[in-house]
Amino acid sequence: MNASRPIQISYDGLARVDGSARFSFGDTVALASVSGPIEVRLAAELPSQATFDVSVRPLNNVPSTESKSQAATIRSAIAPSLILNKNPRTLIQLVIQTLSPTSTPRWTDGLLAAMINSSTLALLNAGSVPMRGVVCAIAIGKTRDGELLVDPEEARVAELIQGGCFAFMVADGAGLESNSTTVWTNWRALERTFDEMGLMSAREAAKDAIKGVYASMKSSIMPERIGHGDDDKMEI
Amino acid sequence: MSTTAVAEAATPGGSKEEQEALQASIFQRLHPRAYLERFLAEGFRPDGRALDAWREVSVNTGSISTADGSALVRLGNTTVVCGVKAEIAEPELDAGARGFLVPNLDLPAMCSPRFKPGPPSEDAQVLSDRLTEALTSSGVLPLESLCIHPGKAVWVLYVDATCINYDGNAFDATLLAMVAALKNTRLPVATYDETTRRTTCSRKEPRRPLELGRIPVSASFGIFDSNQVLADPTAFEEPLLDTTISVLLNEGSGELISVSQFGLGSASCDALGVCIAQARAQGKRARI
Repeated sequence: MNASRPIQISYDGLARVDGSARFSFGDTVALASVSGPIEVRLAAELPSQATFDVSVRPLNNVPSTESKSQAATIRSAIAPSLILNKNPRTLIQLVIQTLSPTSTPRWTDGLLAAMINSSTLALLNAGSVPMRGVVCAIAIGKTRDGELLVDPEEARVAELIQGGCFAFMVADGAGLESNSTTVWTNWRALERTFDEMGLMSAREAAKDAIKGVYASMKSSIMPERIGHGDDDKMEI
Repeated sequence: MSTTAVAEAATPGGSKEEQEALQASIFQRLHPRAYLERFLAEGFRPDGRALDAWREVSVNTGSISTADGSALVRLGNTTVVCGVKAEIAEPELDAGARGFLVPNLDLPAMCSPRFKPGPPSEDAQVLSDRLTEALTSSGVLPLESLCIHPGKAVWVLYVDATCINYDGNAFDATLLAMVAALKNTRLPVATYDETTRRTTCSRKEPRRPLELGRIPVSASFGIFDSNQVLADPTAFEEPLLDTTISVLLNEGSGELISVSQFGLGSASCDALGVCIAQARAQGKRARI
C-alpha cells in the first residue's frame, strides 16, 4: 500500500476566531476556522445543546449547492466527536475555505478528506469545545488492475474505477485498533460496479492509512511528547 | 392528525376506543422517541410495517403534456412530480460534444409544515446535489448522446422535480421519478444548418427516446439507536434517526453503484452490511 501524499499542518493563528488550522495532502490544501461557544441567533437556538453550524467556501465563485452538500457532509462526519450538550443555547461555527483548485470535477474526495482533517485540527486548536474523539479522514481509490491507492494524486485519478472518502473517529486511550470507528463514508464505483468485499478491503486500507494521518496530527500539537508513553502531565 | 379525536372526546361519554386513540396520539406528540421505541421492541413500526418492509410504490408516466417527459411517483404518502424540458444550447469550449443534464428538486411549503416559503432550504439544496451526484456517477445518460452538432449545438435537459406531499425518504422517490421521466422523454430530431447557423427541429419525423445507460435505483435506510436498521423511513421517524445510509443499485443487474451516509450519528460496519444485503433483496423483489 502506498503512503499518502506529504501531510503539512500549520496553525495560522487567524486573529478574529477562536481556533484555526491548515491541513494539506500534497497540494490539496484546506483552511478551517472555529468560533465557539458564541452567541446564537434566536431562530437557531437549541434548548439542551449547542448549535453546530458548518459553512464551506470554495476557491472561486460564490458558494453553490455543492458547497452546501459538502458542508452537510463535513457536519455529519465531525458532529459525532463533539459533546454539544455541555454548552446549550450557544453556537459553534466552523468555516472551511478550500485553498486549492479541483482539476477533475468527478474526484473531490481528496479535498473532502483535507477539509475534515483541517476542521478537527481547528477544533483542537480552539480548545473550547469538549470532544470525545478526533475525526481523521482519508481518500481511497481502486484502479482498473485492482490496486488500492491511498490518497491518489491528480495524475492517477483517471485510472480509478472505484473511490471514496472514509472518516474515522480515533479516541486514544485503549489504542487505535479498538477505538477507531467509521464515522462516515461515501464509497462509489466511478465505472461499472463494486462488491462488498471491495468496500471492506478499502475500509481496512483506510483504517491502516489513518494511523499516519493521526500521528501527523498528534505530532503537530505536542512535538516533544511523542514517545513519552504515559507521561501525561502538562508542564506549565 | 387528531383534531376529530379531540372533538369527539370533548363530548362527555366518548367511546373507549376514541379515548385510547386520543391518549396514543398525545403520547406520540409529546414523547416521539419513546413511542417509536415501544413499537420497535415488538418488532414493528408505527405504521404497521416490519423493520425491513418497504412502502407501496406507484409510478405514472407521461401525464404532463407540455413537458418532453414526465413522471409522478408515490412512495407511500410521499408524492413527487418530475418533468423534463429540453432546450438547445452551445456546448462548453473544452467539451464540444457533451450536452447538459440539470437535475433539481424543490421542496415547497405545501408538501410539509417543516418547509417554509422562500428560497430553497438547505434540505432541498443538499438533496439536489446528491441527486446530481447519483445521476452522474451511475452514468444514466451519457452526455455525448445529447450532441446535435459538435461544438455548435447540444441538448440541455432540465429535470425538475417537485415534492407535493412529504412523508419521508424524498431521495428515493425523487430518483425514481427522475429516472422514470428520463425513460419517458422523447426528443424531436434536430439538425444544425452550417450556413444559417441555426438548429431546426423536425415536425414530421417521430420523436426519439433518449439513449440511456445504467439505470440507478436507490434504497435508503435509517439507523435508530446505533443498531436498528429501518428501511424507507417516514417523516415521523426521520428526526429520530441517528443517520441515514443510501445504497444505489443498478436496476438491471442488482450490482452496487454507490453507498453513502448522511446524518449526525455513526453507523457500525454491521449496519452497513445489513443495509447492503437488504437493498439487494429489495432490488430483487422490485424486478419480479
